[in-house]
Amino acid sequence: MMNQMTLSQMRQGLLAKDFSSTELVHETFRNIEEADKSVHAFLELTEDAALETARVVDDSITMGTFDEMGILAGIPVAYKDNMNLLGTHTTCSSNMLANYVSPYTATCVQRTLDEGAIPIGKLNMDEFAFGSSTETSAFGATCNPWDLSRVPGGSSGGSAAAVASGMVPATLGSDTGGSIRQPAAFCGVIGIKPTYGVVSRYGVVAFGSSLDQVGPFARSVEDAAVLMNAISGHDPLDCTSQHISTDFTAGLADGIKDMKIGIVPAFMEAKGLSDEVKSKVEEVIEVVRSQGAQIVEIDLPNAQAAMSAYYVLGPCEAFSNLARFDSIRYGYMDPGHSNMDDQYDFSRAKGFGEEARRRIMLGSYLLSAGVYDKYYYPAQQVRTLITQDYASAFEKVDCIIAPVAPRTAFKMGEIADPSEMYLSDMFTISINIAGNGGMSMPVGLGSDTGLPVGVQLISPAFKDENMLKVAAALERQYGIAKVAPAFCADAKKGGE
Amino acid sequence: MQKLEDVLKKWEPVIGLEVHAELTTLQTKMFCNCKLEFGAEPNTHTCPVCLGLPGALPVPNKAAIESIVLAGLATNCDIEKRSMFYRKNYMYPDMPKNFQTTQGPIAFCMRGHLDLSVDGKAASERYAIDDLSVGEGRENIVKTEDGYTAHVGITHIHMEEDAGKMVHIGGGEGRIAGATHSLVDYNRAGTPLIELVTEPDLRTPEEARLFMQKLRQIYLAIGISDCSMEEGSLRCDGNISLRRRGTKEFGTKTELKNMNSFKNLHDGLMYEICRQAEVLDEGGIIYQETRHWDPSAKRTVVMRVKETADDYRLFPEPDLAPYDLSDEFIERVRAKLPELPDEKAKRFEEDFSLSAYDARHLVEHRSTSDFFEACMKAAGQDDAAKLSKPIANLIINDVAGWLNSMGDVDLDDCALTPERAVKLVGMQVADKISSKQAKEVFALMIEQDKDPDAIVAEHGMEQVSDAGAIEAVVDEVLADNPDKVEQYRGGKTGLIGFFVGQCMKKMQGQGNPKIINELLEQKL
Repeated sequence: MMNQMTLSQMRQGLLAKDFSSTELVHETFRNIEEADKSVHAFLELTEDAALETARVVDDSITMGTFDEMGILAGIPVAYKDNMNLLGTHTTCSSNMLANYVSPYTATCVQRTLDEGAIPIGKLNMDEFAFGSSTETSAFGATCNPWDLSRVPGGSSGGSAAAVASGMVPATLGSDTGGSIRQPAAFCGVIGIKPTYGVVSRYGVVAFGSSLDQVGPFARSVEDAAVLMNAISGHDPLDCTSQHISTDFTAGLADGIKDMKIGIVPAFMEAKGLSDEVKSKVEEVIEVVRSQGAQIVEIDLPNAQAAMSAYYVLGPCEAFSNLARFDSIRYGYMDPGHSNMDDQYDFSRAKGFGEEARRRIMLGSYLLSAGVYDKYYYPAQQVRTLITQDYASAFEKVDCIIAPVAPRTAFKMGEIADPSEMYLSDMFTISINIAGNGGMSMPVGLGSDTGLPVGVQLISPAFKDENMLKVAAALERQYGIAKVAPAFCADAKKGGE
Repeated sequence: MQKLEDVLKKWEPVIGLEVHAELTTLQTKMFCNCKLEFGAEPNTHTCPVCLGLPGALPVPNKAAIESIVLAGLATNCDIEKRSMFYRKNYMYPDMPKNFQTTQGPIAFCMRGHLDLSVDGKAASERYAIDDLSVGEGRENIVKTEDGYTAHVGITHIHMEEDAGKMVHIGGGEGRIAGATHSLVDYNRAGTPLIELVTEPDLRTPEEARLFMQKLRQIYLAIGISDCSMEEGSLRCDGNISLRRRGTKEFGTKTELKNMNSFKNLHDGLMYEICRQAEVLDEGGIIYQETRHWDPSAKRTVVMRVKETADDYRLFPEPDLAPYDLSDEFIERVRAKLPELPDEKAKRFEEDFSLSAYDARHLVEHRSTSDFFEACMKAAGQDDAAKLSKPIANLIINDVAGWLNSMGDVDLDDCALTPERAVKLVGMQVADKISSKQAKEVFALMIEQDKDPDAIVAEHGMEQVSDAGAIEAVVDEVLADNPDKVEQYRGGKTGLIGFFVGQCMKKMQGQGNPKIINELLEQKL
């Protein structure tokens, strides 16, 4: 049963001495050993570090100093494999970094450890976060716990699947165009992309520096808010991080009466939006209306250009960010070259997967002389317009409700055309472009596929607490996100 | 190859400089807290940020921004409040991120200038300078008494980070050719660097040298760099092209590197001008290429040919927000500006009645200008005016010459104190010793660490200025040489030197030459 506990329930269990932290850690790894055979969410486990931390937590329980251990004391947490954790491999699911061992720890990871979290391991992802299905991982795809023949979404597919299968109650992921929200929706868990600047990016291997943001996965709104409290705030090592003093757990019980909730008619009419997702979003709109919120139609006139801007800005930044993987000091080195350019070229050609190479080449082209003015500059102008669209929309509303992904989880290998894959992010990308916060809230199963559907809640910049409030209201209706049925201890017992 | 002066008759050199200065006086690197230290054990001052490890992010060093604003204010630049960093993308093993963080079209400092005073021999490199009359202008120059002043535009000064340092093993002299492997030291990676780019306003190697000297004086005065050309904390590249006199269009330029001293800068440019002239005179064409000045071979050699312009894929650095410098910040930096060399020279001219030439040479080095001021203070108000000129001479000629001959000696550490200098010059002005003796005393003073009056007493060098005593000697000399007296009176006035010499000889060099002269002329 331990695997179905939320973060808050685990904390209560530890405090009540229902189980020790060490017992919880042992149970966690036993469970992972079993469940991850089919899910393949983990790339590396950190059992020694976990047990060591568990001992410290148990000592604090014995000595009555548990409260001083922090808000995540004894909670198993796992991290997307683009986050540095001292002494672990940080591969970004790429052959390029297969043997790379972190010499330092990312700020977001460190903050969970400072709050007493138990590090469980590193999670699979699309290679360098390029993808929406975790199929581009060089180390094999992750499976959706709700249907193992389907993808968990991506790029933070491992982070979503690990929570959805009950292996850990909390994980961290990163979101550049939808990489937290879309897998959260596919796996039926909560995934938050905070406003750009809320969480430090220091130590998280960059994809699109101006778009990347770290956020939590969890199964209850309160858990997600606790994680937000742990990881948010200014970091002197990331000068784009901001001073945040918000308590994201405050006001969750307040209700949404008199809140103004925006809906975007153009999103609801978008080509490709499946009926079951559309009707779920409409259902959710009725739920919030019934809880006293006021529904306001808003217009984001430039949002349809977000995808185009994103596929200019993202590859440009990625091209430059990934230039450092040159085989000289670390990473994959193709052997046998006596000439520096050959060593560069062959190492990168073999070390990077297809999607990574595609984005690097795209960025290299887009930034080249004569091309830059035609694409990069207009994309930045579009970015300004979209940011203004959201700013003026949020003069009228406190939160926006929208779809996360146009459909529920698709089959492995189903989408082979990259541009079709890119459409997975059609409702999430504009939020990265504008920078404000967005999250995926699970609201039950789709009527056609029977797979989890998430609804997207979008906050004004640095008002991430707004979407959490709406999420809490939805949670009162739909309940806490469930572990995928096949991974519920009860279900398994029943099957035995 | 033709001589420079002959080349200049037909060709007009167009020279622009790119000057890199490492901000060595800062404590830490540009984007991390690693220590800045020259010559440390390789790779000891590194961290995830300056090693460009995956996930690391830059955080700008505020003191470095202050330094570049200071440099801009000291070189008459406009300070751009809104500027930003860019990424310059190219791959090389000494670049940890394979992009250099630098600035784009708008740098922190834009549109500055320096005015150069070119005089004496240095002025003669300028074509047809003597055709101008004093006060008359041409292009960016104005003729002065002893040369001309040149107005040299500064396009911009931008901020960037330095790369690491590579050492190639197995080839000759650390060169990459023939090397079996290379080592990289990342201690220098991320060192804050400012690059000043001049307009193509320079026309002679001397102007380029003077510009660099002046810029170095300014950077030293504002304390942003140790400006060591040897250690590479001040580096200069030159862009040179020739055009036929009277034409406006620029010729193809070459970029010249490895000019790591003022002499190399001058000689390298001079060679390159003459080389290009030779190529052009023979009907050849100049290739746009980077050339290396080899001071031992006294020639420039091709480093690499630029067939096409490099595409650095410059774009705004997304990890660093654009700057929005406040007026308060700029004014706070301006308040830190010390007296600059030009201002100091002007003050010396006015307060101590020095010539422009003397004042300019005194302020060439901080140590000599400080020493001069200390001397003026030691002399006291009454004597300062009287002694300023001879003390300036002492410093410019004897002291500077001695410092040069000694190499790396600090004026503060030697036996020459301002008090001793004032005493020495005081004795000379009061005719107690001759100028020749003064030079001897100066040498002994430094050698023996003694006061000048003690040396004079010890060596019996007191000059005899008693007219009675001198008259006796003069009479003696004239009586001994009646034939010479006859010749002198017959018009051979050059013989005066002979008579003075004879008198001096009799007085063991201690006679006051001025009085001897006067008496001789009277009596003859």
